[in-house]
Amino acid sequence: MNRSILIKFILIITTICLTDLITNSSYAVEPDEILKNQKYELRARNISKNIRCMVCQNQSIDESSAPLAKDLRILIRDKIKEGNKDEEIYKFLTDRYGDFILLKPPLNSKNLILWFFPFIFLILGIYVVFYHNKKSG
Amino acid sequence: MKKKILIFPSILFFLVLSIFFYLLTIERNPYEIPSNLLNKKVPIFEARSLFKNEKFISSDEFKNGITLVNFFATWCKPCRDEHVYMKSFSNEKSVNVIGINYKDNPEKTVKWLKDLGNPYKDVLIDKNGKIAIDWGVYGIPETFIINSNGIVKYRHVGPVTNVIYKKINLIIKQNE
Amino acid sequence: MTIYLGNLLLSLSLIFSISQFIISKKKNKLKFISITVNGLFICSFLSFALLIYSHVISDFNVLNVYQNSHTTKPLLYKISGVWGNHEGSLLLWILVLTIFNYLIFKLYNNNNSNFVSRTLQTQAIITAGFILFTMLTSNPFQKMIPEQSNGLGFNPILQDPALAIHPPLLYIGYVGFSAAFSMSVATLSLENNQKIPWYNYMKPFVLAAWTFLTIGIALGAIWAYYELGWGGWWFWDPVENASFMPWLIGTALLHSLIIVEKRKSLRAWVLLLSILAFLLSVIGTFLVRSGILTSVHTFALDPSRGIYILIFTAILGGYSLILFGKKSKEYFDPNYFALFSKEGSILINNVLMIVTCATVFLGTVYPLIIEAFTNEKISVGEPYFNSTVIPILIPAILVMGVGPLLAWNKEEKLKIFKKIFPSLLLTLIITILTFLIYQSYSFTGMIGVILSFWIISNNIILLIKKSKNYSIGMLIAHLGIGLLILGVTGSSNWQEEKIVKLKINTSTQINKYNIIFKEINEIKGPNYLAIKANFAVYDKNKNFITDLKPENRYYPISNIFTTEASIHTNLSRDLYIVLGEGNSNDGWVVKVYHNPLVIWIWIGALIVFIGGIVSINNNLKKIKI
Repeated sequence: MNRSILIKFILIITTICLTDLITNSSYAVEPDEILKNQKYELRARNISKNIRCMVCQNQSIDESSAPLAKDLRILIRDKIKEGNKDEEIYKFLTDRYGDFILLKPPLNSKNLILWFFPFIFLILGIYVVFYHNKKSG
Repeated sequence: MKKKILIFPSILFFLVLSIFFYLLTIERNPYEIPSNLLNKKVPIFEARSLFKNEKFISSDEFKNGITLVNFFATWCKPCRDEHVYMKSFSNEKSVNVIGINYKDNPEKTVKWLKDLGNPYKDVLIDKNGKIAIDWGVYGIPETFIINSNGIVKYRHVGPVTNVIYKKINLIIKQNE
Repeated sequence: MTIYLGNLLLSLSLIFSISQFIISKKKNKLKFISITVNGLFICSFLSFALLIYSHVISDFNVLNVYQNSHTTKPLLYKISGVWGNHEGSLLLWILVLTIFNYLIFKLYNNNNSNFVSRTLQTQAIITAGFILFTMLTSNPFQKMIPEQSNGLGFNPILQDPALAIHPPLLYIGYVGFSAAFSMSVATLSLENNQKIPWYNYMKPFVLAAWTFLTIGIALGAIWAYYELGWGGWWFWDPVENASFMPWLIGTALLHSLIIVEKRKSLRAWVLLLSILAFLLSVIGTFLVRSGILTSVHTFALDPSRGIYILIFTAILGGYSLILFGKKSKEYFDPNYFALFSKEGSILINNVLMIVTCATVFLGTVYPLIIEAFTNEKISVGEPYFNSTVIPILIPAILVMGVGPLLAWNKEEKLKIFKKIFPSLLLTLIITILTFLIYQSYSFTGMIGVILSFWIISNNIILLIKKSKNYSIGMLIAHLGIGLLILGVTGSSNWQEEKIVKLKINTSTQINKYNIIFKEINEIKGPNYLAIKANFAVYDKNKNFITDLKPENRYYPISNIFTTEASIHTNLSRDLYIVLGEGNSNDGWVVKVYHNPLVIWIWIGALIVFIGGIVSINNNLKKIKI
C-alpha cells in the first residue's frame, strides 16, 4: 500500500513577517539541533512539547517549522546544556512571552477552577446519581 | 431543591453566552498576544550599533525621555509598509526612535535605510534574534513605547497602521 | 442570472420554512405541511445544485466562486470546494436540514399528528434561522464586480478526498441532533403526552446522528494524520472539541434511550440530553465561524456572524431549557438502579460522558473566560486535555466492556463474576502474550492494551453466547471502539522517530528497517512544482519492502509550499518519511517514523460506523418505517 500523502504547513501568515519560512523552510526538529546527550535531548523534547508556537495555530514548537519555533528549540537546548532546570527554562520563557506560551496551563490561582473542576464535576455526578438512587430505592 | 436543579442548565447556558457576547462586542484581536513586558522595566541587553562604533548598553539608554523601539528587517515587507510612520515619529521631538534590526544582513540594512530614509536615532543589530526573544517578540515588525523611567508602556505586533499611529501618538502624549 | 436565481431560491426556502412554522401550529393541515416540506427541500436542493454548477463551470461572476475556486482545480475539488468555504457550507447545512425535515414529516400518521406537527414547527424555526443567517451575513450568491477571468485559487491543502466528505458527514450528525432536539421540545410542549412513544421516534435520528458524527470526526482525524505526518491525528483544537462534545452527549443519549425504552425510566434526562446535544452542535458552529478564537479550522473572522449565531443560539437554548425547567417534572421517573447491572453501567457511562464533555467545554472556553475577566491570554492545550479527559474515559471503557454482559436487574455478585470471568481471563492472557512478544513496556501502553483487549474479549464472549438479547449493531460498534483504542495506544506509546541528514546512496535504520536514499528529482505536477525523493525500504533480512517517495511541493497560484509524506501502511505499523531541506553537497534532512498499529484507529472507526448503520437498519425494521 504505497501512498503519496500531503503534509501541510499550517501557519497563518497575517501581516507578520515570516518570510524566512518560505525561503528557508525547516521541518520541526532538525538533525543539527539534536543534542548528543540523550537525557538532555529528551528533556528538550518534553519541554518543547509544552511550549506553544506563538505564530502557529495550536502547535507546539516541537511540531512547528516556524523560524521562531526553531530559535526557541535551540534556546531550550542551550539552556539545558548550561545546567538550567526545567522550571528555570519555563520561567525564562514565560517572563518574556507570558503564560500564553505554555500549552499546559500553570497551576495558579487563576487556573484553580480549570484544574479542579473536572474532579469536582465527577464527584458531583456520582453524588447526584447515588442521591437519586437512594431516594427512589 | 429539584426546581433549583432544573433552572441550573438555563442559568449556566446564559452565563456562557453572555461571556461570548461580551467578547464579540469589545475590540479585540484573537491573534494578538498582549506583551508580558507591559509596565515592567525594559529588558537588559547589549548590542552592536549599525552606524556608530560604540556598543549600545540598555541600562544607560532609555532614560532620556520617551523611546520608541521598532523591530524590523529588510526582508520583511510589512516593515517597508510601515516605514513612513517611523519617519513621522522621528520628526517628533519628544520621542527617540530606535530600530533593532532582526536577523538581517548589515550591508543590506544600510542600503535599505539609505533608499527609504533612516528614521532611527540608532540602529542595533540583533543577528541571531536573541534580543527579540528577550523582548517577547514573536512576529516583526513590532513597536514598543518606553517612558522616561525605562518602563514598557505599549507594544504593537504587526505594521503600524493609521489607527495604531494615532494610538501611539496618544500614548506618547500620556507619558510626556 | 445565477445571482438572481440563487437569491430567489433562498428567499423561497425562507418563505417555505416560515410557512411551515405557522401552519404546523394548526391541526390537520397535512396537505399544506406537505407543500412546505417538499418546497423547502426542492428549493434548498436547487440552490445547492446551482452553486455547485457555478463552481464547476468556473462562473467567476459569482463572488463565492471567485473567492474559492480556480480553473485549474480538479473537478472533484471544484465540487467539494463548494462546501469547503463558509457560505457554501451553510447551503449544505440547509440542504441536510431540509432532508431531515422531510424524514420527520414521513413519520406523520393520525395517532401522532400533534407530536409530529410540533416537531416540524421547531424544525422549521431552526431551518429558517439558518436560511436567514445565510441570506443576511453569508450569502454565496453575490455578484463579483469587476469581472474576473480567474479565481483566487484555492488552498491545495484542502484538496483531499477525506476532507471532501468530512463536512457532509458531520452535518448529518448535527442535523440529526436537531431532529432529536425538535422532538424533545415537541414532547415537552404538548399536554398529555404519555401515550406518544416519542423516544421510539427519536431513536433512529439519534442513531443516525451519532453514527455519522463518528465517521465524520474520524475522517477529520485521518486527514490530519496524513496532512501533518508525525503521527498526530487529534490536537484538542477548539474546532475538533466542538465536534467531540456533541458526540459525547450523543453517546450518553444513545445509551439512555435504551433505558427509556426498556425500563420507562430516565425520560426527563433523555429530554435534556437531546436538547444539549443540538445546543452544543450550534455552539460549536458559533465557535468555528464567529472569529472569537483562533484555530486551524476556523473560517474567516466576522464578529457580525458571531452575534447572529449567538442570538439564534440564545433563542433556541433559552426557549428549550426554560421549557425543560417548567415541564420536565411530568417526566420524572422514580426508579432504583442496581449498580452492577446493565442500567447501572449505562448510568455510569452517562455520568462519565457528561463529565468528559463538561471538561472539554471548560478547557475550550477557559481562555475566553480568562480574557473576558482579566484581559490576559492563556493557552489550554493538549497536555491539559490529555491529563484530565483520559483518566475519566478509562473507567468508562472498563464499564463498556462489562455492561452488555450484565442483566437488567440486580444480580448476585457471584453470578456476575462468573459471567465476566472468561473475559477477564482472556484479557489477561492476550495482554501477557502481547507484552511477551513485543517486549516493550510502558505504563500507559499497558493500560491501553488491557482496555482494548477487555472490550474485544467481552465482545468475543458475547458472540459465543449468541444470545438473542444482544444487539448485533452494539456488538460491532463496541468491537470497533476496542480496535480503535488499540490503534490509539500503539501509535501514542510506541512511536519511533529518526531525524537525520542523508546524502544520496546513504542509508538509515529505524526499528527493523533499513532505508536507502536512492535519488532525488525535480518534477512538475498539474498545478505544482516539486522535489521528489526516492527511498528504498528493506527489512533486516534484506527483503525489499517498498519505495517511499516524499515530495516538497510549491503551488505557484496559491503561493503555498507543502510537504507530502510518503507512507507505507500495513496491519502492524505505518512507516513514513518526510523530506526536509538540503542540497546535493550537504545532504538532505530526512525524518522517518515508525508508527505501530495506526491503521487500527481507522479500521476501528469504520467498524463503529458499520455497527451504527446496522443498528439504524435494525431499528427502522423494528418500528416498521
